[in-house]
Parts: sequence; C-alpha cells; structure tokens
Amino acid sequence: MRPFILLAVTAFVVGFISCKEDNPEGTLTLHFKAVYDGQPLQTFTTHPFEGIQQIQFTHLSMMVADLQLVKGSAVKDLDDIELVDLSFDNLAAAEAGYTLTIPNVATGSYDGIKFGLGVPPDLNQKKPADFSSGSPLSKTGYYWVAWNSYIFSKTEGRLDTLGNGTLDLGFAMHTGSDALYRAGQGTIPIVIEEGKTTNMNVLLDYKDLLQGVDIKSHPQNHTQSDTSEIVKIVNNYGTSITLSL
Amino acid sequence: MTVDGIRLGRKLFYDPILSVDSTVSCATCHQQALSFTDGLDRSQGVAGMTRRGSLSLINVGFHYDGLFWDGRSPNLEHLSLIPPEDPIEMAETWDNVELKLRNHPVYPTDFRQAFGIDNVSGIDRHLAAKAISQFLRTIVSGHNSRYDRFVRGEIFLEENEFNGYLMFFNIDPSLPDAQCGHCHNAPLMATNDYFNNGLQESPDLYSFPDPGLGAITGIASDNGRFKPPTLRNLVFTAPYMHDGRFKTLPEVVDHYASGGKESPNKSSFMFNLVLTESQKADILAFLLTLTDSTTLTNPAFKNPF
Repeated sequence: MRPFILLAVTAFVVGFISCKEDNPEGTLTLHFKAVYDGQPLQTFTTHPFEGIQQIQFTHLSMMVADLQLVKGSAVKDLDDIELVDLSFDNLAAAEAGYTLTIPNVATGSYDGIKFGLGVPPDLNQKKPADFSSGSPLSKTGYYWVAWNSYIFSKTEGRLDTLGNGTLDLGFAMHTGSDALYRAGQGTIPIVIEEGKTTNMNVLLDYKDLLQGVDIKSHPQNHTQSDTSEIVKIVNNYGTSITLSL
Repeated sequence: MTVDGIRLGRKLFYDPILSVDSTVSCATCHQQALSFTDGLDRSQGVAGMTRRGSLSLINVGFHYDGLFWDGRSPNLEHLSLIPPEDPIEMAETWDNVELKLRNHPVYPTDFRQAFGIDNVSGIDRHLAAKAISQFLRTIVSGHNSRYDRFVRGEIFLEENEFNGYLMFFNIDPSLPDAQCGHCHNAPLMATNDYFNNGLQESPDLYSFPDPGLGAITGIASDNGRFKPPTLRNLVFTAPYMHDGRFKTLPEVVDHYASGGKESPNKSSFMFNLVLTESQKADILAFLLTLTDSTTLTNPAFKNPF
C-alpha cells in the first residue's frame, strides 16, 4: 500500500512525455474501491461511527480529474475527468469497485500517478450545457447553481445518532467550489508492458475520510458560509487514499 | 435531423395508425395543450389504463441516462419503439405498422423524402422511430418563461417569486433550503439521476409497490427510484408524480415539506423542511415562473392533420 500525498494546488512546470504513433503501448486499469475501516464498503450496511453513532451510506461518488502518470519530472496525461461512482449495494460489486480502463499508454516504467479530486478550476468555470451528454460534466445532478460550481463529490447516507439502531438522520456531504479542489500524487512503481494490462487499486477509506467530520451537527453543507465540515473531508483525502498494484 | 425527417415524425406522432384500432396516437397521452401530458393520473391506452402517468416531452431531447419514469429506454429512438407494442398503450405490432405504412397513399413519399429510400420495403420501424425522435427533439422550451428572462437579466422577479427562487436553489442561508434544486436543477429543471422521493413506504429495499428504476436495473437500491420530471410548464401537467396521486401543486409542496414516507433509500434531501405557509406560497410562486405558454401554441408542434 502506498499513500496518496496531497499536492499544493498551484501551477508548476513539469515535462511532458510524448506518445509517438509507433511507440509500443499497453493498458492501465484503475480499480477505485470504497472501503470502511479497511473492509469493502457496501452501501445500505451499517458501520460504527463516532462515539455511539452508527453510519449507513447510500451514495458515494466523486469526480477524478487530470489523471497523469509520472516519470521523474515528466507526466503523461491519461484522462481529463471521470465520474467515479462507488455506490454498490452488493458485496461482490463493492469488492470489484469502479473500473477505469486507459488504453494506449506508452510502455515503460513510471514512478507514480497523479490525479485531482473534484473539477479543476478551468473546467469548473463551465456549466453542464457546455458539454455533450457523454461527458461527466454534462450531468446537471452534479452542478450546484447556488455555488456556480460542480459538485465534486457526494457522500450521502443516514446516521443513527443515538446508537439505538434507528437511522434517524439523513446526511448529504457534497463538496464543491474551486477552493475545495485537491490534487495529489502517489509514488508507486508502475510498469506498462506492450499489449498487457497493468492493474492498480485506488482505495478510499471512508472511515478515514470522515475523520473529525461532525455529520450530526452538519448533515448538509449547501451553504458556502458553512463549509467547515466539507473542508475537513477534502483535507482528509491524503490520509484516506492508498494505492496498490 | 432534417426538415423532412421532422415533418414525417410529427405526422407519425399525431397519427393513430401506430395503434391496433387506430384510436390512440402518441399525442393521445402527450397533448400539446397540456405541455405534452394528458391530465390523467394514469394514461389511457387502447386496452385500458397504463401503470403510470405520462411524462412531459418538453426538452426530452436533452435527457439521457434513461427515459421513461423508470429509465427503461436509453434514447428516443428506443423509446419510440415501445408504445406501439405495449399491450395496453397501442397493442399493435411493428410488423403490422410497417405494412400499414408501406401500403399508405402518402407515407412512402414522406419516408423517401426523409430518408432517401428507393423502395417501400425500406420503410421499417427503425426509420419510423428515427423520424418520431427527430420531431421530439424539436420540442424545446427554455427561452420564454419568466425564469429564463430573469436569468438573462431582462426582468426582475416579484418579491415572493424571488424568495421562492432563493429557497429552491438554497441561495440565501437566511431562508430554509427547500431542497428542490438537487433533483430539479437548471436549466432543464430536472436531472438525469433517479431519486426515491418518499412516495412509497417500504421497510426494506425489496417491498416497494412500484420498484421503478430497480425493475430495470435489477439493483436493489434502485427500487423505489424514479426519474424527476421537468418542472417547466408544471402548471399544465397535473396530476403529479408517476402515479398522479397529487392533483394540485400545493399538495406537491406539502408532500416535500413533510419529508414523505420512510424507506431505506429515501433521498437524503427528503425530510421535514419546517416551511411556513408563506414560504410554501413563495416556492409555488417561483414554480409558476417556469411557465412558457408559447410551447402550448407553437404551430411547429401542432397536429398536422
């Protein structure tokens, strides 16, 4: 398991790995998986939460942007934006996760992978109507008019606040706005071989992601003046995401 | 899309030739004067009442990720093939429809103009569906409502309408979040997602009287979820919900304000909103700004016969 290190969201110059048509290519397959305390996270199952509370998730998704392979100071662009939906109500699907297959990757040895969580500021200036229906950014359900921003991630479910077995509080923690975009990098050796598929797991542990988040007092965060809890969520990405081959 | 394709699709939309006894056309359940709905809680087919009410076709060309209340069709071309062979709606077969169209005095010429076929045998269900889909994609509304003019900065909304707007999209933190915009987002005033909006009580994921999306996907947590319809022109589209259970808009607002009935996958946005009667009235006032009556009289959408 390799950690995913959050990067400062500032511009910096890196080299670019060109991909010539006659270069040999392979496939990189990323398996995004939701876990809770290390175990596959199945929606509509209940887990221990802060104190006496119990938590049940009903929807888990996020935008993953600017996927790049890293080689020294150079990068190879893989994918601009992907909506990763981790809402699986059966165990087998939860264990399998969300698969993103990236073909035609230049062969070679890479040092790691970079990606952003959310919608980068340049794309976040646009609106769903600016995109064709094949793009995740065309989804009006992931755009929040009041914020003039895409919804970067959705973590929804119900909480048993009293620990008595009754899920008495619905919650919807949605992140968004440029200030909450996060980019990170994982250092992990990745070898792409000609005609072969390299598999990588990207695990997101929701117990770690919600560490310190007071859902009971802030079950929704749709007011820009009240972002304290969702800021905690995006700042927890670094401790909740791990990579493995 | 072509002019001839749209013209043919419009004729097919209004022609009961698609039904077994020539009594029901697409327009029977999607009437222009009712913003392309039919005013019934469940639609009337040749063999009785269907299971659900008709959805408005306003801006249907911009919808994807499934059409119909339960998302059973991936696109308009697929959607257009279903009603003729539905045993309640039109109870016809496409084989027979194709024969009727091929032997019709006018349609072979229409199909030739639209699709360039050189023989009547080229007329088939797929071309018919393509033509109907072309017409459906022209039914667009998004320019003439007070809301649209407000967004463009051409007019101000009245105070009560504006308050409703602020609550609808949760723009002003000093007002309650009416939670509307999650499922009915601009500009379509709908989304392409599916929600359980608390209409059906169920102790588990398997006991919904109408499973909606779940019957199509086979995924338990999709049971009880339905596609949110557009709210544009909703003043003309009563009764409301997939089963038409609410006859008036105040009933609809009361339902959402109450939080609805309990089930495991009820939307997280459905809970007791604690809205005052004045706030409910403001939300209703805003909803009425979504009215575009020009769609109801646009000659391009009228019955061509």
